[in-house]
Parts: sequence; structure tokens; C-alpha cells
Amino acid sequence: MGEVLHTLSAGELGRRLAAGTLTSRALCEALITRFKALNETVGAFTHLDQADVLAQADASDARRKAGQGRGPLEGIPVAIKDNIAVKGQPLTCSSKMLAPLVSPYDSHVAERLRAAGAILYGRLNMDEFAMGSSTENSAIRKTFNPWDLARIPGGSSGGSAAALAAGLVPLSLGSDTGGSIRQPASHCGVVGLKPTYGLISRFGLVAFASSLDQIGPMARSIEDCELLLNALASADARDMTCFGPADRAFAPSGDAKKLRIGIPKGFLGKGVAPEVAAAVNAAVAFYRAQGCAISEVELPSSDLAVPTYYVVATAEASSNLGRYDGVRYGHRSASAGTPVEMMTASRSEGFGPEVKRRILLGTFVLSAGYADAYYVRALRARAKIRGEYLAALAGVDMLLTPTVPTPAFKVGEKASDPLQLYLEDIFTIPANLAGLPALSVPCGKSGHLPVGFHLVGAPLSEAKLLAAGRLFEAAHGFAHQQAAL
Amino acid sequence: MAEGFDIDHLAKLARLSLTAEEKALYSSQLNQILGHFEALAQADLPALSDDARVVDEAALRSDEPGPVLGSAAVTRLAPASRDGQISVPRVVDDES
Repeated sequence: MGEVLHTLSAGELGRRLAAGTLTSRALCEALITRFKALNETVGAFTHLDQADVLAQADASDARRKAGQGRGPLEGIPVAIKDNIAVKGQPLTCSSKMLAPLVSPYDSHVAERLRAAGAILYGRLNMDEFAMGSSTENSAIRKTFNPWDLARIPGGSSGGSAAALAAGLVPLSLGSDTGGSIRQPASHCGVVGLKPTYGLISRFGLVAFASSLDQIGPMARSIEDCELLLNALASADARDMTCFGPADRAFAPSGDAKKLRIGIPKGFLGKGVAPEVAAAVNAAVAFYRAQGCAISEVELPSSDLAVPTYYVVATAEASSNLGRYDGVRYGHRSASAGTPVEMMTASRSEGFGPEVKRRILLGTFVLSAGYADAYYVRALRARAKIRGEYLAALAGVDMLLTPTVPTPAFKVGEKASDPLQLYLEDIFTIPANLAGLPALSVPCGKSGHLPVGFHLVGAPLSEAKLLAAGRLFEAAHGFAHQQAAL
Repeated sequence: MAEGFDIDHLAKLARLSLTAEEKALYSSQLNQILGHFEALAQADLPALSDDARVVDEAALRSDEPGPVLGSAAVTRLAPASRDGQISVPRVVDDES
């Protein structure tokens, strides 16, 4: 049985563990064997403490044997993006700045996973400080798309998506500031959810742009995505933006065939590859055939989303990354000099090119004489975009677009053109600006490369998005898909 | 909007030291990106209202002491420490 465990869903693994036909140790051993065979090729993980994983697995098996199992995630490995703190494990954000850091505490989501009995399974590669759309900005290693190893997996949660598509782990956590869960999910043919802003605590998530950042679940099926979401969503006083009663349940509810789906006017136009448009149009036709009401909606300020995002996100990043000064933790330059020289040298040595570019941009849009023209206008544009989305979502249950305009590009293809890379996020950014939940669902292929569609709903409409995803998934063959490696 | 863009001043504000090559590259890339931001200058935008705030003040938790990491864990993270304290380059010169 060991050779097929990596193909099973988290739901099925949970059922076998509960039935006693599988142990967490056997599962983790099988996955570690696969990690040893494939991680050099795919590059999804930056760290895996195998002894620690097996110790957690043994503890889980012992709990279960003693009748103290903690629920559906008991004994199931969940891999974690390297910007989410897990006590005793590296927390590098794939940056030289934090390379030596071992986290002294658990993030809220790590606490939740431990409380649910899950195995905290390794650290996943990412663009440095979550800044990027290809995982090429990692200072540690490259990650490759399991469907085509010459191509990028997307980013910034590229390791989280690639690990799923390669069958290295059944569940993973990513973080999403402008599309960093959904874009790699689309490129790797897996499911990714960015929850409503405030649904999942950011305590222990290394801050990039605090008003946009959210942690979210990634999986190979909608059912698995729900399983992980249910474990993560709960109130936490340590994140002042986190709300909600504990243990909110997000099982799909209602009749998905009665959903009203809005298609934003012009979104399938210029810049969208024909194969992507075809796959997304087929999904729209599917929902129509199921009885869903399809209508066109207007989002007139959509063209402002990318500039608005890159002003707000870089402004917040330039402030958040001010803490890396070589004093309290992280890299300190050996060329000491005065304190200011030490800080400047530490930052210049520790940060990679994209992080420096965004710090400079954020510093500029906040600087005296320019803040009104850029930052304040971006806040006003953000309010306008949010207003338009909420108005559109008053008339429909969700909006459907492609997740990404084009399939995964080749490694290095866009490395010298940051603006082109920023435009990868054109469909995903508005959900972050407006704080809305959004889901990427695999819906086809462009040649051999996965394509996903993107659903955006009103605040706290995760259950509806998941119900729509389930309806599509049940009728198509994209759940549980893995690349042949 | 981008006139007066000064890469040296920005780098100083951001506490980054850039090589001549980096300065040339970032100047050109930032100008290109800022050009894309022109759409913001042209747009008809609403005034900022109170509800543009991301965080509702009511969500502030009460200010009560909670668990902390402790000095041993904190100094373990520091690049340099001595006697339970974080070491930094000398800030104040000796009196002469």
C-alpha cells in the first residue's frame, strides 16, 4: 500500500487512519521516502526534520490508540510555507536575512494544527518575504512546476503548490497578499483559498503588507481544502484584525445549482491566453447548464487594481521590513562601523533584488511630497474598488474569472521585467484590496499545463465558494490530480 | 508624477546601500513601474472616509500583560549578545 499513499486525499487518509488500516508513522515514512526521491527535482521544501516528523507521527498514533484522537486531521501531515512560525523550526522567508533563524514560538495556525493532531511537516519554499509570482526570488533554491520542470510553479507560495502537485504532502499552508495562494494553485493544478480578511489569525505570519496578508489552505481537492480551513479559522486576540467565533464550520451549504454567478465584463479580453479563456468559458457553460444564473457585471475600476496594489503593498512592506536592521535577529553584517552603517550593510547584504526594489518603491510612495499623489490616492482607489466589488456582489453570489491570464511561464522568462510579473496578479489582487474570500479551482489544461478559474465572493461567503467548487469538481476529473514524476 | 525621483535619497531613507549598477537598474525599473501608476493620477476617486480604515478600533484587545518569550530566547536569536543582553556597535563615544 505504501507506494500509493501519496496519491490519496487527506479525507481518505483520515478515514483509513480512523479505521485503523493505516498509521501516521506508515504515512509519514512513505512521504519521507517520496521526499528523498523527488525534492531535489521539484525543490518544494527548504527543510524537513524527518526525526521530528516521525516523533509527531508516533505521538499521534499513541493518542489514537488511547482513544484521544483529535479529529479529522489527526496524524495527517500539513506542510507549511516558510513565513509561518512553527516553534523549533527554521523561519527564513526564503531570505538570507533570516537564514539562521529558528522560530521560538508557534503561529496561531501552528497551534491550531497541533490542537487538531496534524503533523507539522517541513518548510516550503517561497519568493523572498512572499514578494514574487514565480518563487524565483527565493534566496535558498528554485522550485519547479511538477507538470513541467522547465517552468515556474507560480508564487509566492510556489513550494506549497508544487509539494501538492508532486504528491509530496496531502495538505499545505500558503499566504496570500495579492494572489500568492491562488496563482501557484492555478499553475500547479491544485485548489487554493484566500479566506476573508480577518478569518484566520496572522499571529506568527511574517508581515509583508499587513492590510492584505492572509494565511490560507491549499489542497488537491475542495473537500481537503475545507478540512484544513475548518481547523484554521478561529478568533485570536493576538491579531487585532482577526474576528469570528471559534470553530466556524465551512462545509458547503445550500444548493450550488441555484447560485448566481457574475462574469466581469472584459475580463476574458486582452492578455488572456486563448486556452485559458476556453477552459474558463467551459466552466461558465458548465455552471449555466447546471441551472446557475449567469450574468455580466461591471467593475469599471479594475484597471486601477494593479497600481493600487503595488502602491499599498510596497508602502506597507517598506514599513514592515524596517524591523530587519541586524540588531535583534537575522543577518548582521560583519563590517560593523557605526550603528547606522551596520544596519545599512546588514539590510543591503540580507535582502535580495525584488525585496530591495519593493522597499525602494514603498519608501518613495510614502515620502514627503509624494505620499498624497501615490499612497493616499491608492487608498482612495482601494475604497473605490472595494465599493464596486461589494456592489457587484450584492446582485450575485460570486464572480468568476481566470485565476491567471496565462499558463505557467518558463523559469527565467520574466525575471528581468518586474512589471510583467506584477501583471500576473491582475485577477487575484482585487480580492486582497477588498478583503474578500477567493478560491482557485483547477478547470483544465493548456497543453500539459494546468489552468484554474477564480471565484470571488462577499465577506464570509467561503461556504458558497466551496459549494460551487465542489459542484464543478464532482463533474470533472481535476480533483486529486498529480503530475507524473 | 515621478519627477524629482532621487535614487540616492531613497536608498538613504530605506537604509540600503546600492552599487552604481543597482542604482541604474532600480532607477530605470522604478520609473517604468511608476509610469504604470499614472492611471491613479488620472482616475476620479472618492474622498477617504472613516470606513476606509482597515481596522476597527473596537477590535483592540485590552492591554493586559501576557506571556513573553523571555530574555534567554530573545538573546539566542540575536546576532550578538553578552550577559543576557543584545550587543550592538557603540552608539555613544567615550567622554574625552
